Amino acid sequence: MNILIIEDESRIAKRIERMTRAIFGDTLQSIKHSNTLHEALQFIENNSLDLVLLDLNLNGNNGFDLLTTAVSKSFHTIVISAYRDQAITAFEYGVLDFVPKPFNRERLEQALHRTIANEKIEKNEIKFLAVKKRHRIQLIPIEDVLYIKGAGAYTELFLAHEKKELHDKSLEQLEQLLSNTFERIHKSYLVKMSEIKEIIVESGSKYIAELKNGERIPIGRTRYKDIKAKWL
Amino acid sequence: MNLRFFSNLLLICFILLFTSCSQTPVFKQYETVFQVGDQQEWAAKELHDQNWQKRPKLVPDGKIFWYRTKIDILEASESLNPYGIFLHVYGEYEVFWDGVLIGKNGNPGQEADLPPEGELWPTFNIPSHLTNEGEHLMALRLSNYYFPDHLGIYELKIDYYDELLTDRLIESSYMNLFAGAFLITSFYFLFLFLSNKKEYATLIFSISCFLFFTLILAEFMKGYIPIHYNMHVIRLKIISALLLGISFFIPFYFSMQFPFPKRKLLLTIYAGLLLFIFLSRHVFELTANNMTLSMWLFSFGIVVFGVYKKMKGARLVLLTLLLSVPIGFVTPFNKSLFAGFSLILLGMFYLLSLRIKEQRLAYENSLVQSTRLRLELIKKNIQPHFLMNTLTSLIDWVEETPKKGVLFIEALAKEFDLFNQIENQTLIPIAQEIALCHTHLEIMEYRKEINYSLQEEGIDLEQKIPPGILHTLLENGITHSLPLEGNSIKFKLIFESNSDYKCYTFLTFAASVRQDANTKKEGTGLKYIKARLTESYNEQWELSSEPVHHGWKNTIKIYS
Repeated sequence: MNILIIEDESRIAKRIERMTRAIFGDTLQSIKHSNTLHEALQFIENNSLDLVLLDLNLNGNNGFDLLTTAVSKSFHTIVISAYRDQAITAFEYGVLDFVPKPFNRERLEQALHRTIANEKIEKNEIKFLAVKKRHRIQLIPIEDVLYIKGAGAYTELFLAHEKKELHDKSLEQLEQLLSNTFERIHKSYLVKMSEIKEIIVESGSKYIAELKNGERIPIGRTRYKDIKAKWL
Repeated sequence: MNLRFFSNLLLICFILLFTSCSQTPVFKQYETVFQVGDQQEWAAKELHDQNWQKRPKLVPDGKIFWYRTKIDILEASESLNPYGIFLHVYGEYEVFWDGVLIGKNGNPGQEADLPPEGELWPTFNIPSHLTNEGEHLMALRLSNYYFPDHLGIYELKIDYYDELLTDRLIESSYMNLFAGAFLITSFYFLFLFLSNKKEYATLIFSISCFLFFTLILAEFMKGYIPIHYNMHVIRLKIISALLLGISFFIPFYFSMQFPFPKRKLLLTIYAGLLLFIFLSRHVFELTANNMTLSMWLFSFGIVVFGVYKKMKGARLVLLTLLLSVPIGFVTPFNKSLFAGFSLILLGMFYLLSLRIKEQRLAYENSLVQSTRLRLELIKKNIQPHFLMNTLTSLIDWVEETPKKGVLFIEALAKEFDLFNQIENQTLIPIAQEIALCHTHLEIMEYRKEINYSLQEEGIDLEQKIPPGILHTLLENGITHSLPLEGNSIKFKLIFESNSDYKCYTFLTFAASVRQDANTKKEGTGLKYIKARLTESYNEQWELSSEPVHHGWKNTIKIYS
């Protein structure tokens, strides 16, 4: 685990760091603390990370710019903030959890546990997927996404109107964030259930999901029963 | 809306008041003839007076002369209800009706020797047996010592004696009622001015109303106070002077309500013009007319400018000004003067009420603003960024080093206590504000684990400042700064004062946080400071906030 803590309150940063070390134990490879926006952005660009713990109000600046950058990356983001009313927006952007201040060890552990256990978010309010373009970050509304295909460390988002985008998060990470409306029907595919028109069984025990736009996506042999039950 | 209705109602009342109901006259008056000399026979009804003069010019030295006027009575008087005759003639005289002496007004021919006697507007009873339908003759035996060039019969009116007397009294009583209203208005606005001496418009309005009150008195006192004809000019001069005042103050008032460029210059020129009209030798009516006309034209110009600039209330005032014109044409001069002036004064009244409404709104607004500032001050300590971060650090201190945690709680308690003391005040002693800053730094040291320090220089402990403004500057300094080498951030408060202003300089010595170029908009902190300064010092302050090489520099200048 490589973790970055972005927090301008030194005492709180130390508290987060101490608790994180205790929770992850030996699995923690590195932990870094940054107290300015600028430094944090540079660190994110130049290092490979697994988790960012982010305070949204740094030195009087609104942290949402940083948040959009963070959620477009390959790592998960957990927001730790004094402003409880920012929780909904944070989830809409696709953070893994929102920890309100003041927090205790149990609450932090619960949040951190999600990253290790690949735990799915039950009450999911994600509205966008942030996609990195050449000079900016684009927010893609979830309703435009039809299905997602895993491509190694990153993923391909297949959108309505035959558009396609790349995302830095892995299929597993996106599955965690999108578990409400999307199902993993194949080891390489995450599909929005409401887009499936028909489930076809072909000869040779081939299972196919036909989408409303006519595309056909294979269903994993082991997953067929589950998917069919959910779809019906 | 109500006010507009009210002013319309008043307008109708005025028009009704001034359109006197005219009756068909009971007499017809023929041309007056005139002869210098004194013969008792000249009073007789039948006399050969064809060779008497038509246009008298000048009878000097109070010599006696005679007027004869033929009068037709068109309708005989009722029995027991005699006719009377009202005269407006300069001089002291005896009145003969069909050869019979019916009245005496002073001592003709003896004016130089005896004190003035009689009045300018007498009414005489005509015995009813002499007022049969048909031809009659009025002869006056008179002398005119004081104004020998004011000859002729200026006004002659025959009607029932009672009515002649009561009509004048009724007219005077109405006008006095009217005057009373303006007197009360004048007092009311004088008191308003005394309670708020910055509002010169109310004073000008009060003066205008008072002048108008005296003008009405001066004009209509003739109905109940006998005035000898030699006093007449003095009365007219008083009226002219009052008109001069009113003619100046009305446009002056409008110029305050609808300010225009080069105001002082134009007003001076206008005052000069009025004085010129006042001092130049003209008949009274012409002087009055010219002054009123200039007043109207100048006011009209100002109000049109106001309408053009879309100033509040200008359109209604323009309407009243325009309405006063037809009234001026329809009614005789002395009545149109009063109707017109009262209309214009009503317009001014309307403007004042608008301004008073604006002031009330501004006042209410300032109350709301003060409450809002108070809330904002209280909010400083319960807004999540401060409170939740503080509590999180506090939990950590308590868990890790309980003793220090206790000190932290004590510092926090002290800050809350200080806030409690100042939250409902608009100005607090500077020492209290500095104490607040010190406890805040103590709290922030526990949170940020940075060595903060605040130095003061030249502080005058007698001074007061709005609560929370240095505290806000300090908060901004903490939020937007990174520690220097040695993990420290220093602040410095410098006080300077001279006869013109007091100046607080608040310096931050720290490394600054890199800011995005597009986040330069004004923060809520500076807005709070500005609103507090405005609350206590109106516009008499200046605030600057700028980065400097060592960090940040804030300056608050308060002008005395």
